Amino acid sequence: MNAIGNTAGPTRRHLLTLAGLTATAATLSGCGRGFGGGGDDDDGRIEINMVWWGDAQRAQFTQKSLDLFQTANPGIRVRTEYQDSSPYKDKLAARFAAGDPPDLMAMRFDSLREYADRGTLLDLAKHAGALDLTGLTEPARALGQVGPQIFGVPSGLNTISFVVDKTITDQYGVSIPDGDTWTWADLSTFAAAVTKASGGKVYGANFEPWTVANLLVFARQRGEDFFTADGRLGATAGTITAWFELTEGLRAAKAFPPAGFIDQNNGASPAQSYLAKKSIAAQIIPSNNLLGYNQACGGNLVMLRIPGETARRGQSIDTPALWSIAATSKHPDETLKLLNFLINDVEAARVSGATRGVPPNRKIAEQIAPDLDADNKRATEFLSALQNEKLPPSYPYPVGASKLTNILKTISTEVEFGRLEPAAAGERFITEARKEIHG
Amino acid sequence: MTAIRRQDRAGYLFLLPWFGGMVFMIVPFFASLYLAFTDYDLLTAPTWAGLDNFRRMFDDAKLHQSLKVTIIYTVVSVPLSLIVALAVAMVLDRGVRGLAIYRSVYYLPSLLAGSVAIVMLWRYIFGYNGIVNDFLSWFGIQGPGWASDPRYALSTLILLHIWTFGSPMVIFLAGLRQIPAMYYEAASMDGASGWRQFRSITLPLLSPIIFFNLVQALIASFQTFTQGYVISNGTGGPGESTLFYNLYLYQKGFAEFDMGYASALAWLLLVIIAGFTAVNFLAARFWVFYDN
Repeated sequence: MNAIGNTAGPTRRHLLTLAGLTATAATLSGCGRGFGGGGDDDDGRIEINMVWWGDAQRAQFTQKSLDLFQTANPGIRVRTEYQDSSPYKDKLAARFAAGDPPDLMAMRFDSLREYADRGTLLDLAKHAGALDLTGLTEPARALGQVGPQIFGVPSGLNTISFVVDKTITDQYGVSIPDGDTWTWADLSTFAAAVTKASGGKVYGANFEPWTVANLLVFARQRGEDFFTADGRLGATAGTITAWFELTEGLRAAKAFPPAGFIDQNNGASPAQSYLAKKSIAAQIIPSNNLLGYNQACGGNLVMLRIPGETARRGQSIDTPALWSIAATSKHPDETLKLLNFLINDVEAARVSGATRGVPPNRKIAEQIAPDLDADNKRATEFLSALQNEKLPPSYPYPVGASKLTNILKTISTEVEFGRLEPAAAGERFITEARKEIHG
Repeated sequence: MTAIRRQDRAGYLFLLPWFGGMVFMIVPFFASLYLAFTDYDLLTAPTWAGLDNFRRMFDDAKLHQSLKVTIIYTVVSVPLSLIVALAVAMVLDRGVRGLAIYRSVYYLPSLLAGSVAIVMLWRYIFGYNGIVNDFLSWFGIQGPGWASDPRYALSTLILLHIWTFGSPMVIFLAGLRQIPAMYYEAASMDGASGWRQFRSITLPLLSPIIFFNLVQALIASFQTFTQGYVISNGTGGPGESTLFYNLYLYQKGFAEFDMGYASALAWLLLVIIAGFTAVNFLAARFWVFYDN
């Protein structure tokens, strides 16, 4: 034992000790990073943390508007983080749990009340002096409103729409129906014709039966509010059953691809979509994603309304994401200033384009419209036309609503593979949804 | 004396990272034990709920489904992957030329399979229009979506797991090398067949290694998360066919604002794993043979 401690020993041991210490230090500092944290740096500027979900393209657009803000407000630095929507959702909750919420955050429409009802968000109605929401239309303002309180401001406006790849339909000689008047039966006829004409190489259409936003429109067309104004589940089992009868009818008519063809976790980006892979000719997308999809699909997408809009209206003006401020933000004034800038500054809106949909401030939306590129202009006109019509309002989803997508996913898989009849699926959904939505 | 103490000091210094790490283990460990008895939504302070979380487990159908998925996965994939690992190890032990290369090649999947990229790749290979179905279509068969069909998704994941036989294989290989060649020589001189030698020499002498691998694999299998998360994007789908226990726990804790219940689930998992491991150790008395 002592032999080691002789001449060469100490040096080597010192080295090893040093190595050990370095490793410890590395471990500790490694743990310190990535927790959000952050504070005001030495340069005297106030730092606010802003988080959202999206891709690199959206990050570029967002950064441009933030650069404008920071130039105008040299005393404030905005530290941003973004990621995909699904990990974003999980991480946001963890940041609140860690007592380190971001100052300004993108908030999912279906999660607003999960956060707001637990007192974690700033009531923006109390800060009307700092945050001017008078430029928003009533339906746009209602998106973030809970009773007399306002917990979110739409970052942009959108709705769902049907896009059809005209290159495919031209190739197979199928004409695209009139999107303002078509019915669900028309969709079936059209899509089945594409499948048939292509010899099964391309399926006519597909949309996700488990996306609540789709089902919401369908429920309204049947005269039901999926969620009521007072935050209860308004849809009946009959409507859910009819929904699954519709999707399974489309599948049976070969308007939809067969069971198992669509991997429900295929990935959310336009480039990964079955539309871009040319395996289907039409699908439902959020209207603000037209640019991305059209780029990924070869530039010949036609945008239609959701079928069945003639008798009773189902479509509404929605938002891809709300902006919310943490109740415990250390810099509420600066954060309000930033939010106000994002909503009401025309240049900020101009540089960020339509990545989050049409600017919620209608005047600004009109001002930047001429500068938009062709696809964003088309999406904006599509939404404006709807805004000019009388549409049913959209309310924040009740607490528990964010769990419904998973329930719907499970049930729609069971239906897709014939293990659950639509009638039983309707009953099962209502039973399970009631358990989650308190009220 | 002083030299020894100085050496001790060095030892403790080396252990420092571990002690540092333990702080990050012990605090969450007790925090989760406390949270298991509370109602905690992540956003507001936890409130004491007594045994409520544990009572809820009895009629939580999704929990039962997740247990079913995890147990099927474990019971099927652990023995199969060990058998494959042992078989390959024995082939390599015969003295293949370029053993180091083969060993690395077979070990590679173990390093990669937990990674997101590989699971993504598998999804493409086993997709509705993937390579497997392309192959089947030569024979006029339209295969299902192996990852998107609830009837096959778990089997696909089991296959992925078996493919990662590398780490037990390397351990088996080392174990096989420890068995003295003279036993086999003596056995062949007595006219024992290859199977007989395997049954009477290899298996008993390798049994401690098999036992070690079994315990390791069983624990790892109960903790499966990444594969299920990636293949279903965190939902446990299609249907609830890949709803692993840990995935359900994660959903409850991080996606559904139910961290109290999730903590209780974590403790149930600990008990389950401890139970299985204890049974394993008890059973080991009857089949594990220690040479010394």
